[in-house]
Amino acid sequence: MVKQWFKSGSPWIWMTGGAVSISLISVIGLLAMIAWKGLSFFWPSQVVEMQLEGSVAQQTVIGEIYDREMVPKSRLEAAGYDLSDYQAEYVERLLVKTGNREYVELDFRWVLSTDIKRQTVPADLAVFERSKNGNFYGYVVRVLEDGNAVVEQPVEKLHELVERAVDLNEEALDLQNSEIGHINYELERLRLKEKSYQLDNELTDERLAELNARRAELREDYKVFEKRLFELRKQAKRDQVVVRDMRGEEVTLPLYQVLDVWFPNDMGFFAKVGHYLVQISKFVSDDPREANTEGGVFPAIFGTVFMVMLMAVIVTPFGVVAAIYLHEYAAKNAITKMIRIAVINLAGVPSIVYGVFGLGFFVYMLGGSIDELFYPEAAPSPVFGTPGVIWSALTLAILTLPVVIVSTEEGLSRIPSSVRHGSLALGATQAETLWRIIIPMASPAIMTGLILAVARAAGEVAPLMLVGVVKMAPTLPLDGNFPYIHLDRKFMHLGFHIYDVGFQSPNVEAARPLVYATAFLLVTVIIALNITAIGIRNHLREKFRSLEH
Amino acid sequence: MITVAPEVNQANANNKLDLANLSPELTALEIKNLDLYYGDKQALSNVNMLIPKGQVTAFIGPSGCGKSTLLRCINRMNDLVDSCRIEGEINLQGQNIYDKSVDVAALRRNVGMVFQRPNPFPKSIYENVVYGLRLQGIKDKRKLDEVVEKSLRGAALWDEVKDRLHDSAFGLSGGQQQRLVIARSIAIEPEVLLLDEPTSALDPISTLVIEELINDLKNKYTVVIVTHNMQQAARVSDQTAFMYMGELIEYADTNTLFTTPSKKKTEDYITGRYG
Repeated sequence: MVKQWFKSGSPWIWMTGGAVSISLISVIGLLAMIAWKGLSFFWPSQVVEMQLEGSVAQQTVIGEIYDREMVPKSRLEAAGYDLSDYQAEYVERLLVKTGNREYVELDFRWVLSTDIKRQTVPADLAVFERSKNGNFYGYVVRVLEDGNAVVEQPVEKLHELVERAVDLNEEALDLQNSEIGHINYELERLRLKEKSYQLDNELTDERLAELNARRAELREDYKVFEKRLFELRKQAKRDQVVVRDMRGEEVTLPLYQVLDVWFPNDMGFFAKVGHYLVQISKFVSDDPREANTEGGVFPAIFGTVFMVMLMAVIVTPFGVVAAIYLHEYAAKNAITKMIRIAVINLAGVPSIVYGVFGLGFFVYMLGGSIDELFYPEAAPSPVFGTPGVIWSALTLAILTLPVVIVSTEEGLSRIPSSVRHGSLALGATQAETLWRIIIPMASPAIMTGLILAVARAAGEVAPLMLVGVVKMAPTLPLDGNFPYIHLDRKFMHLGFHIYDVGFQSPNVEAARPLVYATAFLLVTVIIALNITAIGIRNHLREKFRSLEH
Repeated sequence: MITVAPEVNQANANNKLDLANLSPELTALEIKNLDLYYGDKQALSNVNMLIPKGQVTAFIGPSGCGKSTLLRCINRMNDLVDSCRIEGEINLQGQNIYDKSVDVAALRRNVGMVFQRPNPFPKSIYENVVYGLRLQGIKDKRKLDEVVEKSLRGAALWDEVKDRLHDSAFGLSGGQQQRLVIARSIAIEPEVLLLDEPTSALDPISTLVIEELINDLKNKYTVVIVTHNMQQAARVSDQTAFMYMGELIEYADTNTLFTTPSKKKTEDYITGRYG
């Protein structure tokens, strides 16, 4: 019976099918977990007010229930809790996010469910998202517009005033980043220009006068912008709100530090969805705050995509050209075979090794030489002789080069020789045949190589830590200052951001959901890049559907 | 083992040529003392023949006899084989094509070739036909259009594809693809057209169309065809060369070769005693 079952081959089918199912379940499970944990963070959850009894000092706790776990009673008793009138073996413990970081010791606290005397969800509890010190939870007592308490409909007025402050802050930030940033950038360029004249012994009085005149002009502009900036800041600082927190004390929050205010317990479903979408869009489009534990991840998304695209632009022509030489021109002998094996094996070198190579070769040698040759005026501060986005792209380009070479070569070898002969027989040279027939026909395979390369490169973090990634980059590699693309700048990366937020952050609990959300975003970005490339490949495949006899 | 009863092309029986002493103005190709080696193995030995202009010459013989190899010598496709070495001469218009000064690409423009399997490029029908012209740098749209129509008419394909010139060539049937390849070859107006078993991958009806086409082509081009199908050789060719084991055994006008072969080996082959 069993023997026959084995003979029939069905165990084999079950085994292979099982392997596929397990792989599928792990992938889907992984994605579902990070998506759930990451995305649920943005949902406006209830804020509860708890009345506690027992040994705790703070008798009223206001906050969001962040997590819950079951703890053995014996462990708690060993820790000194008195649980004598509690019967069950396990006690539920809640993690509450209480916010108000500057007024209480910890913005997260564990509460035993046995200690809770009363728990309510008051509709008038407000959550303030602030640009400093995280969220604030409490009851709105008074809204102060220019020092005077608002009497009529203070909550509506509060929303209005918060919006006004946010707008003013944004305007100030824009002014600071674009106009004032531009002036600083220009001033720095003038300084470098003067120094470069000095180094070449070409600093005539005429030139110096010219530089100084331009400087004076910029300083005049600066004064105007500075005045405007201070005016905007003063305007933004006008209003305050007085809030009663869980200690029962009234705290005055300046509105220029408040980014948003909402009353989660008073929100309907659609209001919650709206708030959720706004929070997600803020996460995707804002800069990080508070050592990356708050705010958005836009610079990291931008850095990842920019670096990967730069890498693709570098690695594709290189890999394709190398593959063409290996397949079309190189003699078919032992040396070629050895080179091919070496190339394939390069794909197995640990990525950190490439990072070390990139630091030593690209950053110090290549970058150092570029600085010496072209930027002597910037010394001692390096321009290209320091980690930057171009070096990261180059390092990842050599890391992914084998992938592109191997799949391009595979594509080349799949082209039937009859097509080559057809072209040669019409009087085409080998080079003409390559350009007009072979490379277009191999383009789907080249795209496959590129897809694999992008997938690998977008997920790499280790080598980047050596050659260009930073925790916080003040400027993007792309901006409005000439020459617009700054390949020497350091950049932020989603993969490194996950590591940084998860392991280097001062506030682990606050950062945890951000780790999931960022991980989910990284996966999304990689999938988006891949789907784009796959779409292009399928289009090419359709176009060059080869002669498959 | 089939016994062949050749139905010889009667039209050609009248103008017999003296193939041994062909006058230079009637000669398209002169093959002289040609030896070819693949590594150490000799694949052609001492082949001598004169191929007349404006006629169809067929190479027949059993598999591996060297007939395709000989054909590929004429446009130097054998250069693509690394281990191949050639001695002797092939003269085209009085010029030895194996001379060092010869530009191989220019030679191939002069000697077109059609292969066993249709091999259109992954481009439109139009682009397939103008491929050779584009290589020569011709961009004039009117000239290209003109050549496309002329070549497709020449390959008896125009009426079937004139409404879809810009569709992919892969949409055509096998026989149509093979005619497209012929059109592509004649678009650059070669002197000589080499056909390497052009119908071996086609169905009988497509084969018939191609054979009719070969008959038309000889008015403008010298055609050399390799075929393993003796009836086909008998139907389409004016001269036939029988090859065996790398040697040219007998070369005569088709009528004579199939009716009164002078060599025992030829007779054995065409009566189906081996091969």
